[in-house]
Formats: sequence, C-alpha cells, structure tokens
Amino acid sequence: MKKIEILRLDSLSRAPMVVEGYLFEGNDPKAPSVAVVGAMEGATILPLYSASRLVDFLRSGLDAGKILGDILVIPSVNHYALNINERFWPLDKTDVNMMFPGYEQGETTQRIAHKLFKALERFTYGIVLETRSDLATCLPYVKLFKTGYEDIDSARGLGLRIIHHREPDSIETVSLQYNWQLWGTKACSVVCPHETLIETASARIIMDSLVNFLSRNGIIRYETFNGYDSTVIDRDRIEIIQSPCSGIFIPSKKPGTMVSKNEAIGKIVHALEGEVIHRFRAPCDGMITCSYKHSLIFENAVAYRIARIN
Amino acid sequence: MQITEIFASQLPVGETLRVQRARFTPDEPAENAKRISIVSGIHGDELEGQLVIYLLARWLREHPEALRGTVDIYPAVNALGVDTIIRGFPMYEIDLNRAFPGARNDFLPAQVVHALAEDVEGSDIAIDIHSSNIFLREIPQIRINKEFSEATLPLAKQLNCDFIWIHDAVTVLEATFSHTMNSRGTRTLVVEMGVGMRLTKAYGRQLLRGILNLMQNEGIIETQTPFEVREPFTSEVGEVFYINAPAAGLFVPVLDHCEVIEKGQWIGDIVDPLSGTVREPIHAPNRGILFTLREYPVVYEGSLLARIFGAPDEEN
Repeated sequence: MKKIEILRLDSLSRAPMVVEGYLFEGNDPKAPSVAVVGAMEGATILPLYSASRLVDFLRSGLDAGKILGDILVIPSVNHYALNINERFWPLDKTDVNMMFPGYEQGETTQRIAHKLFKALERFTYGIVLETRSDLATCLPYVKLFKTGYEDIDSARGLGLRIIHHREPDSIETVSLQYNWQLWGTKACSVVCPHETLIETASARIIMDSLVNFLSRNGIIRYETFNGYDSTVIDRDRIEIIQSPCSGIFIPSKKPGTMVSKNEAIGKIVHALEGEVIHRFRAPCDGMITCSYKHSLIFENAVAYRIARIN
Repeated sequence: MQITEIFASQLPVGETLRVQRARFTPDEPAENAKRISIVSGIHGDELEGQLVIYLLARWLREHPEALRGTVDIYPAVNALGVDTIIRGFPMYEIDLNRAFPGARNDFLPAQVVHALAEDVEGSDIAIDIHSSNIFLREIPQIRINKEFSEATLPLAKQLNCDFIWIHDAVTVLEATFSHTMNSRGTRTLVVEMGVGMRLTKAYGRQLLRGILNLMQNEGIIETQTPFEVREPFTSEVGEVFYINAPAAGLFVPVLDHCEVIEKGQWIGDIVDPLSGTVREPIHAPNRGILFTLREYPVVYEGSLLARIFGAPDEEN
C-alpha cells in the first residue's frame, strides 16, 4: 500500500489540508482498477467511515497477493469541513461535488475538484460514497445517472437492494459521478444513510457492498457472500408521501422496511399541544427508501419515499 | 396595492413560513397593459434588492397616477434566510437559485421556487436582483445568458447599470430563476450589485432610476419625467480577466472598487499576520475597469480577488 498526496491546500490560520489516497497496487496488469471516493462534505459520517474501513480491510484483512487490479481509496476530500461539522467548504460554503470536472485556475473548490479528478481519471471503475442532499435519510442504495455511458452491470456488483437509475438533474451535470462517466470511468454512487453516529448495521451493508464490488468485478480474489440481485428502479416507481402538517415527526418504520398499503408508518405530534395530528399510512405496497431525518418536520415536507411494488 | 401570500407553510413550532408578493395595479388597467415582476432575496444574505424594492414601492405609492400596467414585487423569496443571514434555504442548505423550476411534490425549497415561478409566469418582464455575496463587491451590472440575449439585451441597456455581462449557456444554470422564466417566455434579467449583508444606497438609487426608465419605455408607467440613464459597457467589446488568490492569507486591497487601472498596477497584498510578511503582492494582469473587488479578506488559494474588464489580451 502506498499513500499518495492528492492535493495540499494552505490556510490563513489552520494547518494545511493534505488530502491523501491509499493506493493498493494489483498483481495482474490485465485486471480492472477502481477508485473509491469518500467524504466530499463534512456533516455526515458514513462515507468517511466506509472508505476508511475499506482501507483497513485491504491493508489488514486481505493478503496482498489477492489484490489483482489497482485500488485507490480516498477517505476524505474535505477535512476542513469534517473537523468543524460543516457540510460544505467552510469559507464560501460551496459543494466540492458541484465543481467537476474542476478548473485549475478557478476558485478554491474548483481547484480541489480539478486535482481530485486528475487523480481519478485512469480508473476502470469509480465509486462515490455520498449522502442525500435533501433532509432525508435512506437505505444504502446505488444512484446511477443515465448518461449513455453508465454501466449497470458493474453497479449490480455492489449487491445493494436498489439501483436508482435516472436522468441527472441539470445541477448534477457538475457532479463527480456524471463527469467521471463522461471521461470514461464506469462510475456510480453509493448513497449512504445520513448518520451523525455510526450505526453498525448500515455501515456493515456498505462495507459488504464495496467488498462485493471488488470481488465480482475481478479486482480482488476474495470469496464472499452474494449480496442482493439489485432491483433497478426509476423515478416513476417512487411514491412521495408529504407531510400535511408541521410538528414533531415520529417515524415508526425505517428506510429499507417493506410495507403494505395502508400500514401505519409514522405520525406527527403537535409541537406545542402534544396531540397526534396526523398518522402516516403507506399509499401502496412497497419498500420505504427514504424518510425525513429530523424530528421537527415542515408542512408539505417529503416525509417518506416508497418504491412501489409493481 | 395588494399583498398576497404566494406560498405559505406551517413551520413545526408556532410559525408560518410565507413568501409575499405586493401587486400595484392602476384603477383602470388598459387592455394589453404589461406586467413586470421584481424579485429579490433568493439568496438570504443579499439585501441590496430589499432597498431597491423599497424605493420602488415608495415611488409607486407616491405616484399612483403614473401606473399603467402591473408591477409585482417579491422582496424576500428566501424569507427565512433573509431574516437569519443564511444564504441558502435554512436547514436544507440548498441554494434556491439552483433549485428551479422546482415542483409541488418535491422538498420544501423546491416547493418555494415552484410557487415563485408559477406566480411570476405570464409577466412580460422579470428582474432578479442579487448582491454578489459577502465576499465580493460588484458595480451594478446585468448578467445575461447568451441563449436569451437577443430578447433581453435591449432591456438590459435601459436599466442604468454600468456593465452588461453576456455569458455562455451552461447546463448547471438551467436551474436558475432567470433561465426558467426566460424559457417560459418572460424576458428576465439578473442584476448583480454591491455586496452581501450590506446596502449600497447609491447603487439602490441608480437601479431604481433604471427600473423606472424601463417601465416607462414599456408603458407600465407614464410620467412627464424623463429618466436619464447611463450607457453601459458590454462584455462583447472586451474581455473579463479573473484574478484568483495565488496563496492563502489575508487580502488587503490598496485600490478602490470601480477604478480604471493599468496593466501591472498594484491591487493589494495577501499578507500573513503571524509573521508580518507579504505572502503575495497582487498586480493587475491587464488594463481595464476593476469591476469586482474582494470585500471579505480571508482567502484560500483560488479565492476570487478581483475581476477586470478590459480590451482583449492582444490589444492590452
């Protein structure tokens, strides 16, 4: 394993930010390679934790001779935000994952994106570990943009329950996954639950999916249990359940739970008077993929997303 | 004048989030009278538009006889952000100007921008007033997407701004208010001026004059007063040069904003307070007008320090 410096950035008063990648060189020159990018933002923990656990697995849990293709893991791109629990770049609040492919002569986060992108350009496969941008948590799932270059077969190698295969929104045309695909890497994102403390069950699922991916795509030689035969869904398959009123949100079903039509899945309590003012019921048979992540919920906020069983 | 809530949503603890519009209409609207919408506060930390809209509303109240068409004003689209010094939509940390056109069944910020776009739709003209951000000070300028410039450039020249910047179409900007409204047939202009979290009174008065001039020319108001406006320079006749920080530190400018500067002229220094040294002196790469100057002094490598508009490189 080699540590390589991806980028270094000075600050007025803080110690320099040095972003490093962990490069595990493969033994088989014909084997495909992969790069895994962890935390690009700082207010969630699973992208960082999952990438760092992968580093530990590759370094300590796997014989070096079983690494066939090159593997680069970059656990954090944004230490400055992580260390102060900021979501975006701490000074100007820009999102590194909206700056790709980056610009060498541009603003700070464009330069960060440029240097990162240069380090990622030669890989066969790419995995971005990220969280949702709205106020929702979710089951771990694959987000795969329809660009004409996406590779659904390799994404299946993660063995996660759902692959959300959809058109990118216009603002997602500056994301890492989108640009990575356009530059020839078979890239996808693993969308992680939004957690501030590690919840071992979801962390285990993500870790297993990464190992599955490496194994199934011939990057490591490692016998593991198969994951799911992923269900590929698009936006039309998602039922959106909005909150008809604001108040204190008490979910009774978590993302990843199968539900039946009319099954109770949560409630809202009046924030000042304590009475139950709404009970959520599933509008269809399906699986909860996302739920609102705060206790105080807005009126009309998206409380749940359910992938419908057709 | 009639005030309407174009969007309302109950917040969790005893408060209603509301986005308001005030509409000014004549007592007897003429057939085919035009409608203009003036929008500000899409970014919660930008307040220059609040002043312009206040000045405009006051003028309309003082001159009701002049009104021929409809004037809609939306001072604070991101109402929660404006009152809490938060640029994006609070909690969601979403830039509302990257969330258009939004949708009724999407998350709350998308519902807000959807409501705005639906409400403004049908206007003949819209003006979206921004204040740069807290980092940069800008002279009054209009930003125009090349895709819509044929329709919007003639309007921009009437707005009494100093500079018109016509930029290329970029996919990510399709999520902006102006792109959404221009796509729906409302000729929409974006104004950038001043600096975030502050008011620049002279700029406010300057833009007010421009808006009145435009409204007069479009028949939305009719007065005997001519509104004389300045001739803006446009990006078509020159080039914009960016000066980004070559190092981290504290940027200390030595020039005033909006000066004409020479190639090689000293703009300021990036200094290190701890050691008392200059990390990097900053000089102008080209001759031109210093139309953007950094206001917030802490910089990282890459932070934008200034923009100069001048003749293209080979002529400079």
